[in-house]
Amino acid sequence: MAACMHMGGPMKIRCLLVLLFSATLVSSSFGEDVESRLKTLEDTTKAQQQKFEEQQRLIDELKSSLGGPSAPGAAETAALPTPSKPVQTATPGQEGTTAKLTGIFGGSAMTNPYLSLVVNTFFYGSTLKQKELDSRTVPGFTNVPVDVRKGFNFDSAELFIFAPVDPYLTLYANIPVTESGTELEEAYFVTSSLPGGLQVKGGKFKSGFGRINGQHPHAWDFVDAPLNYRAFMGAEGMGGEKGIQVTWLPELPIYLQLGIEALQGENDQLFGADAKDGPHAFTIFAKTSMEIGDSGTILFGPSFIKGKANIPTVADNTTFTGNTDLFGFEMVYKWKPSRGTGFILQSEYLYRKQTGDLRMGDVADPASTVAPLTRAQDGIYVQGLYQIERWRVGARYDVLDLIKKDYILSGSQQSLGKQPWRATGALEFNPSEFTRVRLQYTRDESSRDGKTNNELYLQMLLGIGAHAAHSF
Amino acid sequence: MRKTAIVLIALLVPATPAFAKVKVVATLPWIGSVADEIGKEQVEITTLVKPNQDPHMVDARPSMILATRKADILMYNGLDLEIGYLPILIESSRNPNIQPGKPGNFDCSHFVTVLEKPVSVDRSMGDVHPLGNPHYHYSPARILSVAEGMASALSALDPSHADAYKANLATFREKVRAKQKEWGALPTKGKQFVAYHKLFEYLAADFGFTITAYVEPKPGIPPSAAYIEHLIEAIGRSRPNGILTTPIYGRKEVDFLAQKTGVRGVVIPHDVGATPGAKDWFSFMDQTLSALVK
Ligand SMILES: [Zn+2]
Repeated sequence: MAACMHMGGPMKIRCLLVLLFSATLVSSSFGEDVESRLKTLEDTTKAQQQKFEEQQRLIDELKSSLGGPSAPGAAETAALPTPSKPVQTATPGQEGTTAKLTGIFGGSAMTNPYLSLVVNTFFYGSTLKQKELDSRTVPGFTNVPVDVRKGFNFDSAELFIFAPVDPYLTLYANIPVTESGTELEEAYFVTSSLPGGLQVKGGKFKSGFGRINGQHPHAWDFVDAPLNYRAFMGAEGMGGEKGIQVTWLPELPIYLQLGIEALQGENDQLFGADAKDGPHAFTIFAKTSMEIGDSGTILFGPSFIKGKANIPTVADNTTFTGNTDLFGFEMVYKWKPSRGTGFILQSEYLYRKQTGDLRMGDVADPASTVAPLTRAQDGIYVQGLYQIERWRVGARYDVLDLIKKDYILSGSQQSLGKQPWRATGALEFNPSEFTRVRLQYTRDESSRDGKTNNELYLQMLLGIGAHAAHSF
Repeated sequence: MRKTAIVLIALLVPATPAFAKVKVVATLPWIGSVADEIGKEQVEITTLVKPNQDPHMVDARPSMILATRKADILMYNGLDLEIGYLPILIESSRNPNIQPGKPGNFDCSHFVTVLEKPVSVDRSMGDVHPLGNPHYHYSPARILSVAEGMASALSALDPSHADAYKANLATFREKVRAKQKEWGALPTKGKQFVAYHKLFEYLAADFGFTITAYVEPKPGIPPSAAYIEHLIEAIGRSRPNGILTTPIYGRKEVDFLAQKTGVRGVVIPHDVGATPGAKDWFSFMDQTLSALVK
């Protein structure tokens, strides 16, 4: 209202109001006392006009008190002549109109949450045939192949929504839309006003276990997750889990975050949806961070998750029931001396121990057999990325069976084949903060049979909407 | 009786840490400098962004979270300039004092009239500041309004020193008024400049010069070689009074343009501390204006 007032003056507003109200009158029910309504209308209009005039006077007063020394009102010459005129600038009289821009559907920022959409699409090339890709697993770790097609792939369009609920809680949701439908990856609240450095998160969220796990795939430094993530949690990491998280930032001279979680435990490589009634996965983690000089930051810390398992992902036609322990250690070094230069070195070591029984064949099948299985295996990735202006080059090496490679079935160590490893190189171009084009080559030796997969990705990431802050 | 009371108070004062300093966290150096003028010995200021950093491209760091964790009041530039790190800092700090809507959440831009509020904006226009130009720290009149806001915010948080804040504000106001006269007398009016980024619009508005072109084709988008060629030709033809840039943002391109065209490159500190002599907001403005008229 105030905006129209600034543009058109009180007279115009009055006419508009009268027009609007008359229209309402015409369409409203018969038999109403038109006279009295008109009178009320006139009174309202008058009162509003007075209010407008008062506000205008206030604005004028404020403006004159702001006037610079050289020319009071010099500030009013907002529109400067520029050759390209990148932004249509508002004249000060129109200031009120911009209030409309803060919301998404023309409302205020209060009635509309922040929204953003990130599109992740890529082209995939491989020296293997599609049939070979579809059956390519990491024997001894997982029987789940990576879900990619040779040629064009559409990963997802991820919708992010967030807004404060009230002064105490903020709500976040992440809804990836894929070709197979819509998922609810995350929807959780975070407290903002607890005392003592405490914070509670609840709903469905990505666990604080490890580093890559908490990031969304579009924020990863490579197209795909490293091999140890794929081997122990799956190609997307642990994914959203239902539960509750409590973290604490004690008042110390260094940054130290401590966290615990109770989760339903549904990841199909660690726990499995029907492992147990009720929540059965529990996490504990610590993250500490320090600064090294003016431009360097180091972050590191251990994570541990424990739960019951009931999973079909050890090998085809098997079910494993037992216990899972997953231990992780993350380390990140960031060096950012200037706007256009930066370097990140990151590594995570994962060690997973599962003990229980492996049933070979269907439970209903009388011929199916059960044997005790212990898997104590590990893996690591190390990656580095160097930024020069809008370009970034990256390299990654990931390997499994690093120190521990126990796969003990019925008391005897199984020989599973060659050591799985991969080497990756990537080149990124970021035309703006909201677009990323990535070319990635991977030599994949993870299938233990000596069959190399030479992979090429050309990925495009696009983001629109609210600007999400970057975590460190 | 009276004497005893005085002695008692004298004894009590050093033993009571009740009058602890107000912990101010300022995002940018200029905010810290102005807060220091208003808060003086009553406040303890931590500034998050270093003077050699580009305020548009700041990443959250652990020391920032530690500082905001303990803050009584967080003072920031606003207009989305800190959008890349401030929301995460506020959330990660778990500090109830500084959450949006609380008295300890102090957005300096609430006290200024904003220039260049776009009527319509989308990102095809580059990394435009959608709430208007956020670089108002070059405007003495606006800084005075911000200082007034700071004085009342600090008084509300720490009422026992309200008089001190009021007195500091009065001193600051006088100093700004005197400086405004001095700066206003400099021959800046009517001059024409080319600028690297849309950083100097408030300076131009307050001191009566115009910015005729930008080295960045769109905000945040660096110029291509072809665009530089076009600029060399255009600048050579129009001969502006200088090409404005800062020590860290666009320096290389402006040095190149200056060398090619013979038009003077003008290096202006983008914030307090960005050049060796700019130790507080006043000397920062002194340096800015003397660079302009050199
Ligand atoms: Zn800017």
